[in-house]
Amino acid sequence: MKKKQHDLVFWLFLAPAVIAFLMVILIPFIMGIFYSMTDWTSRPQPEGLQFVGLLNFIDSFKDISFIYSFLLTIVYTFVNMIVINIVAFGLALLVTSKIKFDNIFRAGFFLPNLIGGLILGYIWQFIFNMVIPNLPVISAIFPAIAESGNLMLATRDSAVMAIVIAGSWQYAGYIMMIYVAAIISVPEELFEAAKIDGASSFKNLIHIIVPMTAQAFTITMFLTLVQSFKQFDVNVSLTGGGPSTQFAGSFIRGTELLALDIYNTAFTANSLAESQARSVIFFIVLVLISLLQVRRNKKKEVEL
Amino acid sequence: MKKVLLVLIMISAIMGNVFANGQQEAGSGVRPTLELLQNKPEIDPQLKAYAKAWGDANGVDVAIKTVGGSVDVTVGQMLTIGYAAGDLPDIFIFPGVDDYKQWAEVILDVSDQKWVDDTAVEFVYDGKVYGFPVAVEGWGMAYNAEILEAAGIDPAGLVNLEAYTAAFEKLDSMKAELGLDSVMSMAAAISMSWVTAHHNFNSLLSNGLAYGDLSVTNDLLAGKVDMDRLEQYASWVELLFTYADQSILVTGDYDAQVGSFAMGKSAFLHQGNWADGNIEASGASFERAFAPHGSMTEATDGIFVSAPSYYAINKDSKVVDYAKKFLNDLVYTDEGHNYMVNEAGMIPAFSPVTLSPSSPLSQSVQKWVADGKVYSWDQYYFSEDFRNNTLGPIYNQFAGKQINKAQFIDALNTAFESLK
Repeated sequence: MKKKQHDLVFWLFLAPAVIAFLMVILIPFIMGIFYSMTDWTSRPQPEGLQFVGLLNFIDSFKDISFIYSFLLTIVYTFVNMIVINIVAFGLALLVTSKIKFDNIFRAGFFLPNLIGGLILGYIWQFIFNMVIPNLPVISAIFPAIAESGNLMLATRDSAVMAIVIAGSWQYAGYIMMIYVAAIISVPEELFEAAKIDGASSFKNLIHIIVPMTAQAFTITMFLTLVQSFKQFDVNVSLTGGGPSTQFAGSFIRGTELLALDIYNTAFTANSLAESQARSVIFFIVLVLISLLQVRRNKKKEVEL
Repeated sequence: MKKVLLVLIMISAIMGNVFANGQQEAGSGVRPTLELLQNKPEIDPQLKAYAKAWGDANGVDVAIKTVGGSVDVTVGQMLTIGYAAGDLPDIFIFPGVDDYKQWAEVILDVSDQKWVDDTAVEFVYDGKVYGFPVAVEGWGMAYNAEILEAAGIDPAGLVNLEAYTAAFEKLDSMKAELGLDSVMSMAAAISMSWVTAHHNFNSLLSNGLAYGDLSVTNDLLAGKVDMDRLEQYASWVELLFTYADQSILVTGDYDAQVGSFAMGKSAFLHQGNWADGNIEASGASFERAFAPHGSMTEATDGIFVSAPSYYAINKDSKVVDYAKKFLNDLVYTDEGHNYMVNEAGMIPAFSPVTLSPSSPLSQSVQKWVADGKVYSWDQYYFSEDFRNNTLGPIYNQFAGKQINKAQFIDALNTAFESLK
């Protein structure tokens, strides 16, 4: 019998995925790299497309707001990764600790992930601006929380933290599910052996759960890194880039993360090609950081 | 062989579907679609209702797309996306000359339309008419007449910095007895840059000048700054920010800003007549009107009035005739008049419309227009990028007290010099 490796049916079944991948990922990506080196705009161009080399990249790095967004995004990503993972791991320990109604908790913590980021941003904006200053008992004890300068979204630093809070609230439940799956799959014998040795639950955590769930850490760190770096929807709706700040002598938007900066470059400043160049930079940096992170985490995984 | 045939049939079936979608408009049995893109969420339901009735009468499906308000998307962004996708709306709104230049290639010359003779504020560029004025709008200092009366302040005297300073101080000292949270309802968050860096900024450009006088605007665009005028303007901004509700100023959105005024918690509102609908919706019934901006030491007795935006017809639209008829019917049918004035509460820009809006702020604008005490809108001569990304953060810093008045003046001055 002649053995066919890939027949027509094989390709046919693959076709929807391949076509979708080509059309919405690969082809736009290659076009994007091409456009980033031209003066392309989506408006009518009588002179046609001009090739400008690396000008858009150079202009991007000359733009103070881009540099600022870059630095801010790195800080935000760092803080956000830590917060999300700590919260998610804590929740995962909680819902796997044989408490009552653990399934309800699991569903509850996961639920925010099903809400769209834009809506979530507006909800949290309402909480920060309206609910917190008007909490009846707490605002009587600490009148300072209702003062305009102390609102979460009033200053740059606290507004960044507000994005972290809203972002964590959205994403921690999803990451929690990954940790839950990993914790459940830790063999029971290990805990039994530890019990015989008289290990405390803290020792259990440090010496059994953490090493045994190391591959989950690889995944969750990667996911949260990428998610934080690409943060856009919560940023748009929660702060819109405000409040402003001064950086290197210029007045700029204080909480504008990279994705929002790229968006504003494209759609407010109408520099589509330059924004495309920034996306390419964004892509390269994100790939490099992700590779580094995955390689580092892989080393820590243990095989049973 | 059979397999190949099957695949071909499947592919053609799939492709057929794809192409069929694109060609629907040409089909004879299907109703054509007229798409209109606009940026006034406050009149969205009224416009949709009118458009549906008009569409049924004319055999067209009218699709209304609305952006703006609290949603931080502009018409320009929607057009950019639409153009890239080859799917521009048939009628779209544009606010002024800066946007016209960006979209000039796709905007139809409508100089031959009948309505051109019946309005004074159509959009003209190089002697040709390109824009249908949506309405006449105006902004100034909206005041709560009952509060001012209780405080013994005559709004007619509010024409310069000195008068406003005195009035604000007096109101501030009487806040408790008047039930006020603050004298002023002002918003300066980054997403409210359209209030600060667009509307308030216009006080610097045109207050006190003859209608259409671009001298200050052109000087600033050339990097020449009249420091005296700028300093007076900075005092005005400082006055507004100082007496504003600080929470709303720094973090509030449009709803919070208008809400404070509508609930009688502030005496003045820095918005235009479009806020009337929102104020009424919250159940407020107090008397209100506009006073001039007091951005200068000399008296400036007038408010800022213009057609805020224009409908343009897409030159490449497949339904140009329907689009023209849609606009004409607004001006020449009773239903159109009813929609513009009674439903949407707009101040009509056309002489055949004899109705008069019922809401107090719109009536106030009409009165200022009738008295001829109006100043023009010149902020559109500065790019949206400059207003949102350069000026907006400066106002925001000043509002958050991160910079003082001298630094504010300095920052604006530097911004204008960078325009050279």
